[in-house]
Amino acid sequence: METTNTVQSSPAWGTLLGKIGFNPAGILCVFLLMALPFIPPFNQEYLLRWLIYAAFIATLSVGFDFTSGYINIVNFGYAAVAGYGGYTSALLAVNLNISPWIGIFIGGANAAVLGLIIGMISLRLRGIFAACLSWFFGLALMGLATKLVWLTRGPLGLRTPRMFETESNIPFYYLIIVLLILTYVICKMVVNSKMGLAFKAIGQNMDAARTSGINPVFYRVFNFTLSCALAGILGGFYGHYYGILTPEVMHTTKTVEVLAVAYIGGRGSLWGGAVVAFPFIFLMEIIRSTLSHLPGLNLVIYALMLILVMIYYPGGFSHFFDVHIRQSKNKILRILTGNA
Amino acid sequence: MSDNLKDKIAWMKSAKGITILGSIFLALFATINSGPYVLVNTIITGGMLALVSTGLTLMLGVLNIAMFAHGEFFMIGSLSAYYVFTPISNYTAMHPDSFLVTWGPMVAIFTSMVVGAIAGIIAEFLVFRPLRKRAAENWVMNSFLLTVGLSVLLVNLHQLIFGADFKGIVRYWGGMPFSFADVFISRDRVISFCLSAFIVFLFWAFMTYTRTGRAIRAVSQDATGAQIVGINIETIVLMTISLSCALAGVAGGSLLFMYPSYPTMGLEPLYMAWFVVILSGLGNILGAVAGAFMVALLKVVTVEYVGAGWDFVVPSILIMLILIFKPSGIFGSEVRGVLDT
Repeated sequence: METTNTVQSSPAWGTLLGKIGFNPAGILCVFLLMALPFIPPFNQEYLLRWLIYAAFIATLSVGFDFTSGYINIVNFGYAAVAGYGGYTSALLAVNLNISPWIGIFIGGANAAVLGLIIGMISLRLRGIFAACLSWFFGLALMGLATKLVWLTRGPLGLRTPRMFETESNIPFYYLIIVLLILTYVICKMVVNSKMGLAFKAIGQNMDAARTSGINPVFYRVFNFTLSCALAGILGGFYGHYYGILTPEVMHTTKTVEVLAVAYIGGRGSLWGGAVVAFPFIFLMEIIRSTLSHLPGLNLVIYALMLILVMIYYPGGFSHFFDVHIRQSKNKILRILTGNA
Repeated sequence: MSDNLKDKIAWMKSAKGITILGSIFLALFATINSGPYVLVNTIITGGMLALVSTGLTLMLGVLNIAMFAHGEFFMIGSLSAYYVFTPISNYTAMHPDSFLVTWGPMVAIFTSMVVGAIAGIIAEFLVFRPLRKRAAENWVMNSFLLTVGLSVLLVNLHQLIFGADFKGIVRYWGGMPFSFADVFISRDRVISFCLSAFIVFLFWAFMTYTRTGRAIRAVSQDATGAQIVGINIETIVLMTISLSCALAGVAGGSLLFMYPSYPTMGLEPLYMAWFVVILSGLGNILGAVAGAFMVALLKVVTVEYVGAGWDFVVPSILIMLILIFKPSGIFGSEVRGVLDT
């Protein structure tokens, strides 16, 4: 399933990139994303807003896949964790005047503590039960954010300062792209290390992993902590970009959105969700805005795609990429994907 | 005699005994403290929850599907009851002494059950059967994600076709409310509770005493073994799905007067039912019924003493605590092992 180039067979300039999980095609994608705000249809503000949203979902899906694709536990409260980080940072900014730039990292640290707790209490549970536990955790968090009106202003929404004092969306776009790349690189480096092997072993068969001397406690908790920390930072970005936070951010439907993107992209690949998110979110937004007299149609298509992918192509986009592009007969494609 | 007593004391010390006795004490305390309506609310909510969660527990036990779309079958039930009952109530408004005044709601509720079952069968043919044919490994997680997609699909189809507004009725049966220990309970609540109690009883009897029910339980214990003794798995699976969706549908239909139908209405019964299933462990119908009343009690007591809206927070924290200390649920059964993948 690994698609990024491996150290043995790639040319020398590729080894460094390979270590952080990029191949030539990946670099091209990054350059494309960097140039996108200046290419005509995308230089309009509303399209940029879509791009930012797509990049946000893409980044979340990388963090989500880090848990679900490797240790095989679906963190169903992922959006709630992100919202928790966002609220932390927003409340710090509103009440204590702490700059959002510091706030989002405090939010991330706070979410990491939460991830530590979820990881610890879900230790005795497996598979679907751990997913349920994190779901209940998310529900409880969302209930708290709705009911603690004196703190979060509840459903009215908490106004937050934006990170850049400008109307333009471009700085936010570059910030989220940087966050996307950083998230991907961090996750990829962890996964490529010995730890990633342990994660996979635990995800496939916990008893066998334990027998071969892997201590699941440490790895599971570490995995939850890291992915929740990333979610917390992203939640902070979300709050400080839109300028308003409501408990809706923490809703289960948000998690489902991230989950769909991550699984259509391909589980256990990390990059699949990030690549799929852009066309996917764009398609959804286009359907939503052009067929606005048919509310919900975009989500119908979305759900159909998730169902079809789950039944007929559970490997997702990354599997398709592996089989048809990375190992294709065409040499250029193979070089491009670092499989020369 | 003393052995009997010892057994009783041992039972009281077990998790089962502690929780049941604790719930009874909590119920008694709340009843004495705030009035009998706490008890009445608990019983009525619990009846609804019992219907939904027995379906969920059956699906999880027999098919190993962690159903996330169960609330949507609840929604389908309430929607079909609405569309059947509206013309009936228009008709009875003009013909007040027609037999439909009494039987019309029954027709609506029965339709919701049938539609729920049909929806379940359609879901089995279009979604679960193809997945079963193709997926070999990681079935629990894949089917769970599939039901997530199904849930989003059904919610948005509802919104697309029927609109997002509240589709509710004022009442099923008019007339004077019953009075019971100084509380007035509307006739609808009493009848719908009796109905759900009756259906749960029927269901339990079906599962315990009929050949088909035994076959279903056999499949839930060991699918391969059941196949060896000549049980047709596909038929049992179809029957289980239609049964459990019919239960969710009839719950939605009979509670239409309390919960109007709208796209995302299924979320609350869904997570409440999951609370019940996690609390009571899997594969155990009577456990699910008892768990349903416990969760209902928790919810009602939370609304009473902490405030409305907190009924998300307090039960979920308590259930997380239970999960930490007793991962297999209070009435935990052996069936859980299947899910350890």
